[in-house]
Amino acid sequence: MAGLTRRWTALVMAAGCCLARPGLAAERIRIRDLYARGAEFSPQALALADKTVTVPGFMAPPLKPDASFFVLTKLPMAVCPFCDSELNWPNDIVLVRLAGQQDWVDFNQPILVTGTLSLGTEIDEETGFVSRVRLVDASYELA
Amino acid sequence: MIARVRISRLVATTCLVCTAAGSALAQDARLVQGDDPYFKQAQGQLQQVLTQQNNTNRAKNVILVVGDGLGFSTVTAARIFEGQQRGVDGESNVLSWEAFPHLAAAKTYSADAQITDSAPSAVAMTAGVKTINDVMGLDHTAKLDSCEDQKSKTVTTLWEMAETIGMSTGAVTTATITHATPGATYAHIANRDWESDAAMTPEAIAQGCADIARQLVEMKFGDGLEVALGGGRANFLPTTAADPEDEGKKGKRKDGKDLTQAWLSRYGNSGAFVWNKEQFDKLDPDNVDHVLGLFEMSHMEYDYDRPKDKAGEPSLAEMTDKAIDMLSKNPEGYVLLVEGGRVDHGSHAGNAYRTMTDAVALNEAVKTIMRKVDLNETLVVVTGDHSHTLTIAGYAKRGNPILGVSVGVDNEPILGMDGKPYTTVSFANGPGGQKGGQERRMLTMEEATDPDFIQQTLVPMQSETHGGEDLGIYAIGPWSHLFQGTVEENYTFHVMDFASKISERASQRADAP
Repeated sequence: MAGLTRRWTALVMAAGCCLARPGLAAERIRIRDLYARGAEFSPQALALADKTVTVPGFMAPPLKPDASFFVLTKLPMAVCPFCDSELNWPNDIVLVRLAGQQDWVDFNQPILVTGTLSLGTEIDEETGFVSRVRLVDASYELA
Repeated sequence: MIARVRISRLVATTCLVCTAAGSALAQDARLVQGDDPYFKQAQGQLQQVLTQQNNTNRAKNVILVVGDGLGFSTVTAARIFEGQQRGVDGESNVLSWEAFPHLAAAKTYSADAQITDSAPSAVAMTAGVKTINDVMGLDHTAKLDSCEDQKSKTVTTLWEMAETIGMSTGAVTTATITHATPGATYAHIANRDWESDAAMTPEAIAQGCADIARQLVEMKFGDGLEVALGGGRANFLPTTAADPEDEGKKGKRKDGKDLTQAWLSRYGNSGAFVWNKEQFDKLDPDNVDHVLGLFEMSHMEYDYDRPKDKAGEPSLAEMTDKAIDMLSKNPEGYVLLVEGGRVDHGSHAGNAYRTMTDAVALNEAVKTIMRKVDLNETLVVVTGDHSHTLTIAGYAKRGNPILGVSVGVDNEPILGMDGKPYTTVSFANGPGGQKGGQERRMLTMEEATDPDFIQQTLVPMQSETHGGEDLGIYAIGPWSHLFQGTVEENYTFHVMDFASKISERASQRADAP
């Protein structure tokens, strides 16, 4: 295609304006790129450890409305991970610890979460939830 | 209005002919389009069909391939996707089963529902009857959750009858081996969710009903399945057993039974249990007669995600390959189910990308079958069990990415009335729908073709639903020409049985003094 037509240009600009948000300042990594194989972290994830990153995904239904954490999933998961059998959960979920209280969104609303990438197995003292990847001091916005 | 348009087209055509010279007119009366590539392609197809001869041999072997959720629209999208992945023309691409000579359309409604779930549709194909949603191996008078009916309203499957006459049998799937489709080859259950005893009601357990995993390991017909490969390890392991692959996780069974050990005890030196790719690769079909392979605690990975699996998993094609090697040792023949179980799951998730990649994996499995079997003696049937709400919409140009936003023949994106592009493939409902009058999101080609993209939908739902329209039954091999016209889904069983004479031979054996 020789150059952008008017309709393409308008769409690119429209898409660009929607993405021009603070989250873009941080490097972006997708959930599917966090692991190399099994529980082994990818080189990209290791390079970003302890740095501020933005991860696109979906918010799983939270344990309770005033919780300060939630699970970020690659694909929408309608069932609360703390309520359902962990067997039915994918391995590549991310625990998000929020810096401050935010409104919850539907499980199928695409979001961008920005926070510090924390890698390695941790057991949450309060819930006993085992996580391999966390975003801490995090906040999110609609994608 | 329609009539007026048709008339003006006719006039225009007539005028074109009028301006032509007499000799040109004569030439036009012949086939001026004879050298047209589309014309020649269809002529070639016609000639090929004219050479076809019906195969009326007895089917020594029967292979039923089920793409779970593989409706016509999913086949079309997968055909284009697979072609585009290979860098060839997607629209005219041909999937392995689309080259089969015979095709029928199946009506998939169940005994009690306009739109079936996988359990009664599997029963239709494995036992020849329609039954109610959510039950397996029982007739249509059975009631959901009734242990009494589980004992008294059983039907017999082709796999069970084949076992009684000394044939080999198998089931291969990427879902749990206790899931609706593979389960319907061997299980009789009043609720398809009873994959382990942990999911059963206390009443059913108290009344002595067995869960699906137990029924697999304790199958009473012949010597049981020779091949059972899929996911669902947790349904076979007790809550006290640590899973060998997933650290910190344990089995589901509350009765304390380790059914993998029960399998090994039953079959002794001729039995094997494997749970990872390395063990699977080492399996020697010459030395093993009964294999149970459980490669995940729950379903196996989507084919797209399979390379990252911790312990490694065989592909559906690799499992099919091994299954045929094991089953074909038996001179009496075999009956094999091969299921692409997660085509369905991709659609339920509203993620058409994984629907497509698992359909491509199914295509590879069917290619494997076609490479290995003798079609003079093996009937191969490829079908779905129900459709989904996947649609292929708009007027995208040839070669436009099938999962992309729709771009027209003028290379301009095609927009909705809201000024936003839309994807060619979408679902009518599912997780891609938005609540509360939110505006439809802007889409880019990059976003729409991403493997994790969720298709936009009209009705927001936690899980996209099945579709109720007819689906294709593609067949090749002995008596495959009996698949024609629009048929009931349970007709599939009757052709497989007629071609192989399995029930007739089983009856003769039962009647023998």
